[in-house]
Amino acid sequence: MTKKDSIKIAGVENNIRVESRILEERIQKAVEDGYRQIEVTAYGQHGIGGRLWRSGDKPIKVDVLGTSGQRLGSMGFASTVIEAFGPASDDVGWLNAGAEIIVHGNATNGTANAMAQGKVYIDGDIGARGMTMTKHNPRFEPPELWVFGKVGDSFAEFMAGGIAVVCGAGSEEEKNVLGYRPCVGMVGGKIFFRGRQENYSKADAKLLIDLPGDEWQWLQTNMKRFLQAIGKQYLFDQLASKREEWQLLVARKPSEKLARAVKSMAKYRKEVWEGELGTGGVIGDLSSLDRSPIGLIPTGDLRRFIPVWANEKYLPPCQAACPTGIPVQKRWELIRQGKVDEAVDLALQYTPFPATVCGYLCPNLCMQNCTRHLVSLQAVDVTLLGKASLSAKEPVRLPETGKKIAVIGGGASGLSVAWQLWLKGHQTVIMEGKKQLGGKITDSIPKNRIPNDVVEYEISRLAKNIHQVHLGKPLTKDRFLKLRNENDYIVIAAGAAKPRKLNIPGMEKTLTALEFLQQSKLDCAKVGEKVIVIGAGNVGCDAATEAFRLGAKSVTLIDVQEPASFGVERKHAEAAGAKFLWPRFTKTVTDKGVELADGELLPAETVIVAVGDMPDLSFLPEGIATERGFIVVDENYATSDAQVYAIGDAVRPGLLTDAIGAGRIAARTIDDLLRGADQTYDKLPVINYERVKLQYFDPRISEFADTSSCATNCASCGACRDCGMCVEICPQKAISRSQTPAGGFEYIVDSERCIGCGFCIGACPTGVWEIVENAPLE
Amino acid sequence: MESMGRVTPSTLSTKDLPWQILWNKEKCTLCGGCTAVCPVRAIDLGVHRKRSLQVPVGLETKPGNLFSIYHGIDQRTDPAHACVGCGMCTMVCPNGAIAPLHSEGIDKLRFHVNQGGEPRRRGGRRNNPDSVLDKIKFIRISMLTDPALDAGRHEFELRTLLGRVLPPEEMLKVSRENGWMPPVREIYPLVIGSMSFGALSPNMWEGLQMGVAYLNEELGMPVRVCTGEGGCPPRLLKSRFLKYVILQIASGYFGWDEIIHSLPQMKEDPCAIEIKYGQGAKPGDGGLLMWYKVNKLIAAIRGVPQGISLPSPPTHQTKYSIEEAVAKMIQSMSMAWGFRVPVYPKISATSTAMAVLNNLTRNPYAAGLAIDGEDGGTGAAYNVSMDHMGHPIASNLRDAYLTLVKLGKQNEIPLFAGGGIGKNGNLAANAAALIMLGASGVQTGKYIMQAAAGCLGSEGDRCNVCNVGVCPKGITSQDPRLDRRLDPEQVAQRVVDLYLSFDTELKKIVAPLGRSTSLPIGMSDALGINDADAAERLNIKYVL
Repeated sequence: MTKKDSIKIAGVENNIRVESRILEERIQKAVEDGYRQIEVTAYGQHGIGGRLWRSGDKPIKVDVLGTSGQRLGSMGFASTVIEAFGPASDDVGWLNAGAEIIVHGNATNGTANAMAQGKVYIDGDIGARGMTMTKHNPRFEPPELWVFGKVGDSFAEFMAGGIAVVCGAGSEEEKNVLGYRPCVGMVGGKIFFRGRQENYSKADAKLLIDLPGDEWQWLQTNMKRFLQAIGKQYLFDQLASKREEWQLLVARKPSEKLARAVKSMAKYRKEVWEGELGTGGVIGDLSSLDRSPIGLIPTGDLRRFIPVWANEKYLPPCQAACPTGIPVQKRWELIRQGKVDEAVDLALQYTPFPATVCGYLCPNLCMQNCTRHLVSLQAVDVTLLGKASLSAKEPVRLPETGKKIAVIGGGASGLSVAWQLWLKGHQTVIMEGKKQLGGKITDSIPKNRIPNDVVEYEISRLAKNIHQVHLGKPLTKDRFLKLRNENDYIVIAAGAAKPRKLNIPGMEKTLTALEFLQQSKLDCAKVGEKVIVIGAGNVGCDAATEAFRLGAKSVTLIDVQEPASFGVERKHAEAAGAKFLWPRFTKTVTDKGVELADGELLPAETVIVAVGDMPDLSFLPEGIATERGFIVVDENYATSDAQVYAIGDAVRPGLLTDAIGAGRIAARTIDDLLRGADQTYDKLPVINYERVKLQYFDPRISEFADTSSCATNCASCGACRDCGMCVEICPQKAISRSQTPAGGFEYIVDSERCIGCGFCIGACPTGVWEIVENAPLE
Repeated sequence: MESMGRVTPSTLSTKDLPWQILWNKEKCTLCGGCTAVCPVRAIDLGVHRKRSLQVPVGLETKPGNLFSIYHGIDQRTDPAHACVGCGMCTMVCPNGAIAPLHSEGIDKLRFHVNQGGEPRRRGGRRNNPDSVLDKIKFIRISMLTDPALDAGRHEFELRTLLGRVLPPEEMLKVSRENGWMPPVREIYPLVIGSMSFGALSPNMWEGLQMGVAYLNEELGMPVRVCTGEGGCPPRLLKSRFLKYVILQIASGYFGWDEIIHSLPQMKEDPCAIEIKYGQGAKPGDGGLLMWYKVNKLIAAIRGVPQGISLPSPPTHQTKYSIEEAVAKMIQSMSMAWGFRVPVYPKISATSTAMAVLNNLTRNPYAAGLAIDGEDGGTGAAYNVSMDHMGHPIASNLRDAYLTLVKLGKQNEIPLFAGGGIGKNGNLAANAAALIMLGASGVQTGKYIMQAAAGCLGSEGDRCNVCNVGVCPKGITSQDPRLDRRLDPEQVAQRVVDLYLSFDTELKKIVAPLGRSTSLPIGMSDALGINDADAAERLNIKYVL
């Protein structure tokens, strides 16, 4: 430097402070004018020494005497060296872009804030927020801040690069040479410091206590320059000879960032939580259940639901609907198994009239209630099976018991109860007032409804086994009491053979339907051209049909209400041409016909009264309760006399199958009483038909060719058809078929594989599988 | 499901239900996961028959029918098994083949859930996403005017006081005369609201407690949790963690026998005692823990025999007036811990809340008042109570605070607000709004269940089966088969996560107000709302 290069610029002129703007202009002008040594006598002016790019590469030295203002050397350039001979105000080296700034004294807050290049040497302490927001631009060397003493709070906040060296001279006893909470948000750079530091942002910076060799090397090398700059080379040994006095804080890389320097929850739980509460936590003393985490789809005991193979635990609708209680679907099952004979034979266990009733006379409630029928599929045709029953083999009778039961009446219900009791080994006596067995079946149901030989065959099958049949002897009270003494039980199955009469004039001019039908069956009835039938029920319909057969030209049925007739009886009558009139109230019957309450005359030669039949109970002793002419019974058909049972139309009018079913139940009850057995018959609930999957069947079948076709299409409601669908649908392969010791089969679930998805339930054609809630764990 | 050709008035199709299960036959692998996991058995395997007509080209031969069968996932339509939209099926489906979709129209199911004459009951919330709290903005953001703080780097002490604060002259008098100084706790302003052991599963309940203890002991956040009615496991009562717990007593008094028996062995006093008079979600409705939920564990904690139903009536049985109820209960509960524990009532937000508050101001033992607004959640209630009864929290709390201001007691009786805070996920914003409207702190339950345990409920009537014990996440079930789906440790971790993030958010709101050490309680000049009526009602700025 030469004298020619140097210039002095005053910050005060005539005792007036030069504005920062003016001072800046003068400094810039001096540089432009070629001055390279500038001495500024400052008076608090802002930003002295920065932005001196006009010198190009030529070095410029700015000495600051007096009082430096804020932001000394801000935006300084690399060729500039600024030396302040005294303390400096805030933000020394702010946005420093390369200048070397030396402060001979303390600097206040914000020293080196946002500095990106250059060096700031402080021969003293600095205030808060030093070295904050500093950067390292890779195009240049990193910036450096050197502090001889200590630094204030919040040092190096958001520091993003550069090197800070804090020598801590004179602060050896301080707890925190870097002040309170340094390094918050620090993402780059490093800080050498000498002395102690207890707190810093551990999430952002990591502390190296043992200075690595190259770092120590760097520190020693550059320490010399720093000390030289501040004129304290003599302190080198004191500051830079003991490596152990120095530590280094380095910004954590993103990959090294600590989320929180705290205990893991697992550790906290094990050591602290359970340490205080005991093993098992808050309820470890109250429950011994395993509470470890489980997945969403567990097996075994942890399943919420479990499948159950509820085979034959529900009645199929057909069987449930059959008053006789014939297990219809079991018969189809036997046929599916190829056991056609067994299927046919089975019926005789339940009824002595499988062909007569199931095959011809029954309205087949089983079919009406067939699950298939409920979704418009053709019901499987049980009449085929009924008709096939003619060839049924008689069941094996149980050994003789020596017990005697008298059955009063040889109609459907009487023969049913006698047949059942005989099968169970008891002696039965049938007392029938008429000359033949069969009741209505043989004496009043029109011939066109059933071939005679079928009835005859089935009656003879029964009669040949039950030897004690007394025909043609009307019963009296005395004989009844005698029978009661001679027998263990008496079953009254006397039917309803006493036609009900109307309380009107001219009743004697009429025929009762029962008389008429009995006569017509014997072909000895006669009718006029015009026939009126009073009472348009099924019996009335039968009478009308028969009247046509016998030559009537017109038959009119009248009733006080909408006729209750249905089924084949009604159809036959209508087909024959019968007219139905209602409501019509009969006043009298005259030779001209029927005169109605409103005065109208319905001309007729023959008037038949079909308003129902009543039981003839003239033999009944006083002690047996009746109501409106019918015998009162309980659910098992016991009368008020425990030794006497009553069934059939004598109890309440019904279908043949009702009568046969009543006989079976009464027989079962009596048999239980005779044997001293408890009545343990399952009253199984009917299966919910929605469980049965009819989608497996062909909906377009309108008629069944044979029993085999019926059997295939029977849905087998509630009874496993052993199809193996469940085994195949199970996603876990948890279901298998197994042979039972008794020779049957069952499907079992491996609970360790099963997840309780219920697919077996969903896919089972027969609705055998059901899902139940698993038992509570505690 | 085939209709079987017959319909009843309550026969519904899937279209009539609030949720429709969309099932993709092509993607489904028939693994059984969805039907196994469905909490309400809304789906099952169905059998389907397909028909196609086989017609030869040129009609050279007769056409024929070809039937085939396939199996698929069917949705049940009976009200008892209507899909609740929880989406667990989707969660377990390996192929993304199934999902519930919310019906666009109004469902028909709502007209048929009353089978047998029993109106709908459910768990959950009001199913109404409206929230006046969400509309409140924090309009005072200091940049250059106040000392603006940086939420990220400034140190905060966000604490509030629970307990009766005496006015200075009284405090001086008390200390001069060695009199009784009401106990006051310095706690974190977000309290986990009352959810009972019984309403919550053991794993959920323990997870919450563990998380709270962790926040206190590892992170220095004095978070408190209220037990709800139903007692407290004796181990917890006898542990140091009790100090983080607010014990609740309610109309059923369940668990209090066990609490009394634990008194001699308590190492710490509980944080406070909350006397529950009402619940925001179902004001005027009581509770009934059905007998089948009262298993061995619940029975032991509640101090009752196993397998009996436990009724919590809508009202306390022996209290006939505010004066009596408040005086009697606060006295009794204070006495149990030698008047060292703050005791405060909790009521449903109601138009009569001011009467209660006025009474409390005259009772020196009343430590505060908790008000629970209509948007609160519940484990079980009648739908009508949940949907149509109750008072919104914002105006009720505001009225209460302004009442205190009128009386000059706003710094003496802390108000705690609850009910729908964070209902749409805006926990910190809602909490801060209530604090600036005058709450000393807030209580929340639902948000905790959602954030800490993954509750699937929504404001769109999703799931809501808490009341029947089939919670698919194991949050509200007493069945270990469900409860064990929840790992208490993970719940605890989530409690910690949500508190830390809440804390950051709360700082983001209060830092621009220049607050770092005292909460801006009642600092309503910082609030604005773009609804003039709401602004007028809440006495805050109307902003557009």
